[in-house]
Amino acid sequence: MLKVLDFFNYAKSKSPWIVHFCSGCCSLEMLAAMSPRYDWERYGYIMTPTPRQADIIFITGLISKKILPALIRTYAQMPEPSYVVAIGACAYDGGPYNDSVAVIKNVTEILPADVFVAGCPPRPEAILAGLEEVKEKIKKGEPSAASQGGLWKQMKF
Amino acid sequence: MEAIKNVLGKYENEYIEDYKPTWVKAKFKNPKDLLNIVKDLKEVGVETCSTVSPTDFIDENKIEVNYFLEDLINKKNVWLKFDLPRELEECKIDSITPLMPSADWHELEAYSTYGVKFEGHPNLRYFLISADYFGKFPFRKDFDWKKHEESLIQNIDDITSEWLDEYEENKKTLPKDGSETVLHWGPTHPASGPIRLVVGVDGENIKWVDPDIGYVWRALEHLVERKDFVGAITSVERICFMDNPNPMICYSEAVEEIAGKEITRFAKLMRVLLGEIGRCASHLISMGGFFGNAGLHTFVMWTMDIREYFLDVLEDYSGARIATASVEPGGVRYPMPDNWLETLEKAIKKYEDTVPDMLDIFINNPLMKTRAINTAKISREDVITNYMAGPIARASGVKLDVRIDEPYAGYDEIEMDYVTCENGDVYDRLYIFFKELNQSMDIMKQAIAKIKEGIEKGEMNPKKDHLVRMPRRMPAGEAVTRVEWARGEMLMHLVTGEKATSPYRLKLKAPSVNHTMVLDSLLRGKTLSDIPLIYGSMHICQGDLDR
Amino acid sequence: MFDNIWFQILVFPGLVFLLAWTFFVFYFARKTLAYIHKRVGPHFNGPAGSLQTIYDIFKLLTKENITPKTADPYLFNIIPLVTPIVAALPVILIPWTPLMHNGVVLDTNYGVLGLVVLIGVEPFLLFLTGFGSNNKYSFLGGMRVLAQMLSMETPFFLAALSPAILFGTMNLHDIMYSNTWLTTLILLPGAIIFIIAMLGILEQPPFNIPEAEQEIVYGFYTEYSGTNYVLLKFAEFTEILVVSAAAVTLFFGGYRGLFFDSFFCLFLKIVLIAIVMVAIRASNPRLRLDQMLKFAWSWLVPLAVLNIVWIIFAKLYILGA
Repeated sequence: MLKVLDFFNYAKSKSPWIVHFCSGCCSLEMLAAMSPRYDWERYGYIMTPTPRQADIIFITGLISKKILPALIRTYAQMPEPSYVVAIGACAYDGGPYNDSVAVIKNVTEILPADVFVAGCPPRPEAILAGLEEVKEKIKKGEPSAASQGGLWKQMKF
Repeated sequence: MEAIKNVLGKYENEYIEDYKPTWVKAKFKNPKDLLNIVKDLKEVGVETCSTVSPTDFIDENKIEVNYFLEDLINKKNVWLKFDLPRELEECKIDSITPLMPSADWHELEAYSTYGVKFEGHPNLRYFLISADYFGKFPFRKDFDWKKHEESLIQNIDDITSEWLDEYEENKKTLPKDGSETVLHWGPTHPASGPIRLVVGVDGENIKWVDPDIGYVWRALEHLVERKDFVGAITSVERICFMDNPNPMICYSEAVEEIAGKEITRFAKLMRVLLGEIGRCASHLISMGGFFGNAGLHTFVMWTMDIREYFLDVLEDYSGARIATASVEPGGVRYPMPDNWLETLEKAIKKYEDTVPDMLDIFINNPLMKTRAINTAKISREDVITNYMAGPIARASGVKLDVRIDEPYAGYDEIEMDYVTCENGDVYDRLYIFFKELNQSMDIMKQAIAKIKEGIEKGEMNPKKDHLVRMPRRMPAGEAVTRVEWARGEMLMHLVTGEKATSPYRLKLKAPSVNHTMVLDSLLRGKTLSDIPLIYGSMHICQGDLDR
Repeated sequence: MFDNIWFQILVFPGLVFLLAWTFFVFYFARKTLAYIHKRVGPHFNGPAGSLQTIYDIFKLLTKENITPKTADPYLFNIIPLVTPIVAALPVILIPWTPLMHNGVVLDTNYGVLGLVVLIGVEPFLLFLTGFGSNNKYSFLGGMRVLAQMLSMETPFFLAALSPAILFGTMNLHDIMYSNTWLTTLILLPGAIIFIIAMLGILEQPPFNIPEAEQEIVYGFYTEYSGTNYVLLKFAEFTEILVVSAAAVTLFFGGYRGLFFDSFFCLFLKIVLIAIVMVAIRASNPRLRLDQMLKFAWSWLVPLAVLNIVWIIFAKLYILGA
């Protein structure tokens, strides 16, 4: 029985679908990761148009104040287990926009991320490597960080 | 020029002077004159407003409002200045939107960020800024941001409440029976990117469209004020990563103008090369994205494949693929690497090898033509009234190109002509990008030849000539520079104080604002299926829309 | 073995076969499309990525199954169960392999009729999924399915009738064996109309209007997640199989091959049609709804009627019946 459950987790880890959500410059590098030279479909990643079928949401770089409710709402619409990948320096602490009046500096306190990918913007290879790390987490059946906590549960969205 | 000066001379002014070959700069004493001045200017052909830029001089207790007006046909530009008191109640001026519709959103932006009230604006409202800044005017120098930031959750709840209010409002106003409803196209829509088009539809037919922007508002203009002159390029380049070097060129030209420095010929030609590489990278995405919006992903993949070769060139030069930071005041940032020009030639060759297939399969695709030809036409008059810039204007047959009108960097050495299409419909707005790509390849080849020649003759040293030493502290002054960005004219207005180490005020004018502004008139009466196509054909980048 | 009813339901041409087909066509479409995109497609999961679909489906089966608060819970959850069954029903009418009696599970003289009716029911169910989701985009998708169905099924039926008229029978097995090189040529215009209308019925590009990602998110699929989504996708791929097999049977001689008759000849022909579909998908943008309607009613329907006239003419004067 346990083996069967393991297989399901294994299957989950092998087919992560990613919801279309772009809020910053890093989405260009996601597009590059989809494109012929990097082609993340080799690993089984595809983009889905609706959050209902997605497993992973990207925090693509900066999250401005205005789009934060949309991010949380999109995350909440995804079926469990759903994971968060934060890419770019902006998702960590605001990065180059750390001084900006309009950008959220602590996105991952609000919506905790399972994996950070460094870079501004990170190269497509780095994004792929980050996604491989999420795969490990899914394979072990660990719950996502965002389902465990984060300020997003206190917010209206 | 004389006609414009005569018109301006009629009003009480502090000075009227020539600025650069194509500008007249004038400062007026009485803000009440504005409407009459604009009316008179319209009669001599200045019909377009590029942007409105307030500057907050807190020490002198005044807000200076700058108007940048342009005559797109005869290439004559006017720069008007007015002083307003800083107090919120008295900080008001007449709106020029009824006379020049192109000023519409620029005035809203100035109102939201600086609190300059434009009287007579048809729909003066808070715009661009997020709901927690409503009524607080965050770009004013005395805005206490740290204090505002303390109540983060409350701020976010404010923003959410704005949405929920809108939802309740829609519930009340929409008819209970019938097929009318309000759709939100974005911000998490697969084709939209971070923008929200509020679309009133009756079944499939569009009644009205109300673009809601500000989802990637980063307050770059405000952010720049807290960086030094070189550090500011990291903010400026982040206007939009699709075409990354050109905004930096624009900013650097402004700084050099204030410092009074001339850069080397080698650096100028390098700027041409970098700018054109950026333009190619951007155009390739735009063209692919246009087809992607029409439901065909093959072309995106093909153009992305070509784009990678151009990014290789940028990476060879600066070490980064898209965030290059490769141009800085004083020239270009790095010396030219060995064999760099060969890498670039390889990228050009890659593009030229793909051109026949692109033409056969995609650009001349019959289904694409069925959808695109004669859809959403933009006439020459629309271009002038609403100031469509760059490729969109050229698709309508307006000869408009800053590279030729007001040559910057090394463009005065390059032989080039306006590329235009005739009809200004969706198909032309795709085809113009293809034509411009070919033109860019040509420009790059010319620049490569010139650099190679210069190096051979010993006039240029690619390892040393790239940078001129800039003064650490700038003199007081202001400058306006324009570049032809991938999506159209980019205008920067830079103000510095005495012995400044950082910009006092930097206004970034980007073309996508005007392109988004006309979406309503373009989409009315069309069907839902036209939204992605027409939206895609305007080649809007949310990064430069919100800044 | 092939005539055993349980074998037919569970293995061939029943459940196992349809599942295997779904796995295959998902993988095949992705790989072919990737090739045209200059990409590789699924590569690392299983040999050359062949296990990718299996992982995808097992993942979706174990994901949370969301029923939105505003949706009609019964309609929303029952329709995905009904749809694959309805989509799989026409399978019993199609001659699959010479190993079975007359090649079919259910040998009837009204094969063509049953086929077009059962294929024609499917879009109603898809409309109901959109209706039950109670989401604006889903509902619009549902309405688009209806509009497309109404306009595309007329030429579809008329084109499907042409072999029946030519050979004077509605028995699919007889139609298949009456087909010769000459009749294939006579039926060619009908076949082209059938394939174009088929793209509309199957919601394939350039007629993928009901699930237009860039316009209405994902049409009627928008709110579906987990198991329900798998069932709907299973129905979609089954329908692709059924309609392509119908095209091959009606116009291109079904499982008859050049040298021997076998299921593999049928399969090869279906794959060829699938390649044509993928190639069209990879090189053409989507049409607008009103353009599709105009195309269907002012070109496809008149052509389909003319085709019937041509078939009758050919029957009288070329075949000399």
